[in-house]
Parts: sequence; C-alpha cells; structure tokens
Amino acid sequence: MRGSIDRILTTHVGSLPRPDDLIEANRAREASEAMDEARFQETLRTAVANVVHAQKDAGIDVPGDGEFGKSMGHRVNYGAWWSYAFRRLGGLEFGAPGPYGRTPRRSRPGEIVLTSQDDRRDRQRFAAAYSDPESGVSMGPRPTTGPVCVGKLTYIGQAAVAADIANFKAALAAAGIAEGFMTAVAPGTAYRFGNVHYRDDMEFLYDCGEAMREEYKAIVDAGLILQLDDPSTATGWDMINPEPTVEEYRKFAMVRIEALNHALRGLPPDRIRYHLCWGSWHGPHTTDLPMRDIVEVMLAVNASAYSFEAGNVRHEHEWKVWQDVKLPDGKLILPGVVSHATNVVEHSELIADRILRFANLVGRERVVASTDCGLGGRIHPQIAWAKLEALAQGAALASRQLWR
Amino acid sequence: MLYSTDRILTTHAGSLPRPPELRDMVIAKANGAPYNPAALDQHLKSAVAEAVRHQAECGIDIVNDGELSKTNFTDYVRWRIAGYETRPSAGPRRLSITARDETKFADYFAANPRARPVGPPTMPVCVDKLRYVGQADLTKDLDNLKTALVGVEVTEAYLPANTPGTIEHWMLNEYYKSDEEFVFAIADAMHEEYQAIANAGFLLQIDDPDLPDGWNCLPDIALPEYRKYAEMRVEALNHALRGIPNEKVRLHVCWGSHHGPHHDDIPLRDIIDLIFRVNAGSFSIEASNPCHEHEWRVFEDVKLPEGATLIPGVIGHCTDFIEHPDLVAERLVRYANLVGRENVLAGTDCGIGTRVGHPSICWAKFAAMAEGARRATKLLWGRS
Repeated sequence: MRGSIDRILTTHVGSLPRPDDLIEANRAREASEAMDEARFQETLRTAVANVVHAQKDAGIDVPGDGEFGKSMGHRVNYGAWWSYAFRRLGGLEFGAPGPYGRTPRRSRPGEIVLTSQDDRRDRQRFAAAYSDPESGVSMGPRPTTGPVCVGKLTYIGQAAVAADIANFKAALAAAGIAEGFMTAVAPGTAYRFGNVHYRDDMEFLYDCGEAMREEYKAIVDAGLILQLDDPSTATGWDMINPEPTVEEYRKFAMVRIEALNHALRGLPPDRIRYHLCWGSWHGPHTTDLPMRDIVEVMLAVNASAYSFEAGNVRHEHEWKVWQDVKLPDGKLILPGVVSHATNVVEHSELIADRILRFANLVGRERVVASTDCGLGGRIHPQIAWAKLEALAQGAALASRQLWR
Repeated sequence: MLYSTDRILTTHAGSLPRPPELRDMVIAKANGAPYNPAALDQHLKSAVAEAVRHQAECGIDIVNDGELSKTNFTDYVRWRIAGYETRPSAGPRRLSITARDETKFADYFAANPRARPVGPPTMPVCVDKLRYVGQADLTKDLDNLKTALVGVEVTEAYLPANTPGTIEHWMLNEYYKSDEEFVFAIADAMHEEYQAIANAGFLLQIDDPDLPDGWNCLPDIALPEYRKYAEMRVEALNHALRGIPNEKVRLHVCWGSHHGPHHDDIPLRDIIDLIFRVNAGSFSIEASNPCHEHEWRVFEDVKLPEGATLIPGVIGHCTDFIEHPDLVAERLVRYANLVGRENVLAGTDCGIGTRVGHPSICWAKFAAMAEGARRATKLLWGRS
C-alpha cells in the first residue's frame, strides 16, 4: 500500500455521488421492474469509468469505484455501503422489520445488546430533531423492512463482486492508475440484521465473516486494496441503551474485531485498510464514543491503514489522541480532513492545518489525506466534488510545508 | 462592553429559536395579514423572558432578546423606516448573498431552492427622504428585554440592529442622486435606532454581514474595487454610529449564513483593516466553519484595535453536529494565545437559532460552547 513517500497522498472513504441514470436504473432494479440487464451493466460500467477519471482529475491519488456497484436508488442514501451485502449473502429472507421497526432492547451490565434505530441514545436525547422531517437531520426514505437470517449464511455475491472488480480494474487501467481500493462491509457491522436461524450469536457473527471472507479474498486476489467498512465498532456505543461502561463496550467491540481478523486470516495486511466512523447522518452526535476509548480496538484489526473521522466538529479535536497513542510501525492513518457534515467546502489552508497536525505526530509518510465518510448520497454532487478538489489542494499545500 | 477578565465569557450572534405560535404572529403582522396585536405583545414579552432565562441556563453570559420580534435580522427594518414604496418583485433581494456561489454551483442551488435566503416577494423602492419610524416597535423591544433581565443572572445584554450596507441589499433607490447619498440617508435613519439602544443601557450589536458578504453579492467585482465599495459603507456606518462610544458597540460580520458551499468567500485578511475601521469596541467574526476556521492565523500579524475584544465563532450553524467542548476550548486557546485571553469572548459564527436544524440543536450548541469556555478558562488561567 502506498504511503506518502514524497508528498501527502489523497484518497476518500468510498461512496461518491451516483449519476442520475444509474440511480434510476438502481431504483428500477430494486423495485424488480422489467429492465434490460445488459443495458444496466453497461450503464454501471460507464459510470465507474467516468468516476475513476473524475477522481484523477480532482487530484485523488488512490481512487475507488465510488461504490457504484452498491445499489443506491435514491439521491439521498446513507445505507448502500451496508445494504448491498444483503443481496450477496445466502440464508436471508426479506420483509422482516428493518432497523427502524424493531422493538427497543435494553442492555444490562454483563449483557449488552444493540437496540433499535429509534432507541439510539442520541435519537432519544434529540427525539424532536430526529423526528422532524424539516429538521435537516433527515436521512431520506427509511427502509421499511430489512432482511432476516433464516439459514446458514453463505456468500452468493460472486458474480456481483466479479463485475465490480472487472469494471473498476478496466477503469483504473484506462486512467493509468496502479492502485485503487474497493470497499466491503466487515462482519460485525454486516450481521446486524434479524436472525431466527442462529442460536449462538458468535456462530452467527463468525458465519457472516466466513461468508464475507469470499468477497474480501476476491478483492485482494484481484490486486485491489480492500477497505473494510466497519462503523459499528464506533456506532455500536450509541446503539446500546443505557450507556454501558467503556470497558464493557470495548470487550463487546473486540469480539467483533476478532471475528473480522478471523475472516481476514491469511490475507496480506499490506493490502487491507480499515474504515471506522460514527455514522454519517447529520445529527448532533453527542453520544459518539471518544476516539481515545476505541483507538486500540481499531488498531487491533489486521490492516495496514486506518481511516477515521477527523474533519467534523465532534471529532476534529481528536488529533490529540496521537500524542500518546503510538501508531504501530509500518501502518498508515487516513484521517478525514474534509467532511460530509457540512455543505461548506473546507478551505485548503484548513485542510493543510489538519494534515500537518497528524503528520507532526505520526510522521508525514504515514498520513494519507481522506474524507470523514463517503460523500455520495450524503451531500450534493457539486459540493462533494468541490470538497475532493479542496482535499487535493490542501494536501499539496501541506506537502509544500512538510517537504520544503 | 466586557472583557474576559478572569474567565472566557460567552455570547452569541443573535437569532434564537422562535416558538411556532409567535413566529406565525410575527409573520402575519409583517405580511399585513390579520393578527391580534395584544396577543402578539403578550406572547412576545413572555417569549423574550423565556429566551433570556434559557440563555442563562445554557451558560451564556452576554444575552439578547433572540430577535424574536423580528421576521429576521434584516427585513425588520422595512417596518421601521419610511420613504419607500413596495413593488411586486420576483425575488426578495436586490443583491443575493449566494450570487457568487451560484456561478459555480448552479446545480446545487437549483436542487436546493431553500439554500437561498427567503424574504417578502416585494421590493422596497426609496422614493422619498428616508426617516426612522420604528420608535414604537423599538421601545417594545427595549422594554421586553429590560423586563426579561429582572431576576436573571447574566453579565450583560445586547440588542442587535441592521446596517446601511445590508439594508441596501433589499432596497432600490430612485430618490437619492448617488449610492453614497442613499447609503448615508439610511445611516441617518438608523442612527435613531442605534442611539436609542445605547441610551437604554444595552450593548448595541451592529449586524453587518454586508461588509464581507457584499463580495458574494457581486460575483464579478475585483478586490480593489470591492474595497472601495466596502469602504464607503463603513464610512456610512460610522456616520450612523456618531456620538455613540466604541465600548457601547460591538460589530458582527459574517459571510452570509446560507448553507451553501461558500467556496469563494472573501478572505478575512483582505478586509480585516476595514472591519477594524468601524467605530466599535468588540468584533464578532465567523471562525468555526471550515471556510474560515483557519483564519485565526490572521491575528498572528494583525493587531486588535487598542482596547478592543474579539468574538470568534467557536460554534456554528453550518452543521447540526454539536461541537465537542474540547474543540471549542482548542479554538478559544488559539485566539487567546494571539490576542490575549482577556480580549477573547466565545461566540457563534452567526445567529444560530433559526439556522440550525432544530431548536434543541441550538441550545445544545450553546451548552457545548459554555462547557468549552470553561475548559479554555482552565487551560488559560490554570483553574476553573
């Protein structure tokens, strides 16, 4: 994996705004409307080729495929990075209550469980803001149903991931880019759907990891960087009601990291990066777990680069964590220095300031400038692209100061 | 006007959340629709009292009336000056604060019509000598704030008022011979409001977004030309402030509080000397949104006017995420290290009450600011 050898490199977290024709094609496909599959694939292929070129033009050094193969049927969408996996896992049935429809579950010391979406602690604290459709916290159409596990989990996404890989590799080759990343959801985050099959939660989690391993392996075998999307490591905290102790929560999260590492066994850490975030909705985020409390858990993942939020007002101050946490040798950090949390485009000087703070603590070669989370579905396309351009300008500015 | 003598004081830029019923009445009055004046007066009085209490509870030291009697910080002047007629208009403003952004982000603004500020669908056109006629409304504002302060523990109170350059955004001139004559005539009219606020013993906050955001309104203007444009308006503002001591005045400037990209806002450095030319003792600027957060560096080589205080925005309206108190403290300490801790007050980028997603978010941000100011105090004075 490339580090910032002679200048600060840029990347982003994954999701990019889909073109309208792809959104419409996704919507029709999700609604099982009659459509020409070959034409759909052509729309997708073209969109991936275009988005890779656009990233190159914007100054992104390590591009992704925009997660375009992960279906987004609406311009506003916060969930495609996870929901795509539902169609790639065997053992699921659809039509069960989704994350919003579930019954709240209370945790007790020694027995912590994830509650329903509406029972999350920030949502309870700001119930009026979250339930007001005019409030700006709105996350677009809510999925009314979700999947439920009714049989042993298996991977059935071979064709889908093969198509994603083929589209992306062709796009990279056409753009003359050697290194690109592709996202896949980690088991601890993926398996948070209903379950009537498994009696043992660990068996459920590990089977999910075993199934997803096939996708991880396919991405790595194809020569792409695998990015594991695992927000639940941080967002699980807000989803446990009442608030658990930090110690107990870290144990809860570590169990999931161990399952992830098991799923990654034998895969080269040098080809793997890990994305942690606190959930990309535009809410108050007052119950976000401090980075300091979860950083060691994050670093336990067998990856060689770690992506996390650092460009929004809830987590910007957490660069200080690296004053006393040592980044293990040979590893990189990919802090978010531009964010989906505001429409205001970050000034390149601010971006440079943010990069410098990290570079001064962990070493310039070990910082790759990135975004807080995916920008697609969360912010208007014009603003998303302006932010990526600003990211490249800010990285160039920081490079001039760091390598003068 | 106060200094952060032994701790970092907190304040905010103006607008607070409106109770929906009150908002409906204020809008009905402004639109000439039927409303019950006695009920409005009563409602306003109790809402201002509640707003003051709520600010105090959140830890705000220097409070205001939340602009609750006003439709917004600028258009309220329509009902306080005479000498114009209203004409139907396609848009509410002669000058749009999103104009410069719209040249690059047309699709975004087309997809988000609410990103543009809204206002009445008529345009005031000056056709006669301008004069101030807002005495009765202003007296009510002053009385409501005075009453609200009784029995509440706060350090100071301020009342905001709009500026000639910003009023010019929405008023056409067919009466005065030049822009300068027109802007100075607005200044003469507004002088009465400024003087009355100062005479009542309140700190006068001058809301002058125009000083930076005139740049956004005029997409084709170049910097030297813009500085001339702004300079004349600063002179007009000082004309309106004549006779009022600097320490009774704080100036609030911002880059237009719309939720757009703000991609080409004018850098603070390019206008800081003009800002400091305003006869004020305290200066409130945006400093927490990602377009202006880096500009604390301006104060590495620009000095505050003698005896002045700076109120950087350490929380803002551009995101509904609540600022972490440690971030607030970090921001305050940066400023304190440059201009002296006693000269820094914690503020907001702009009025946030009507600009964040929900009233509860506004109050939570205030509480975060107050906590951040406590943490900064601890870092700066070595005690809480």
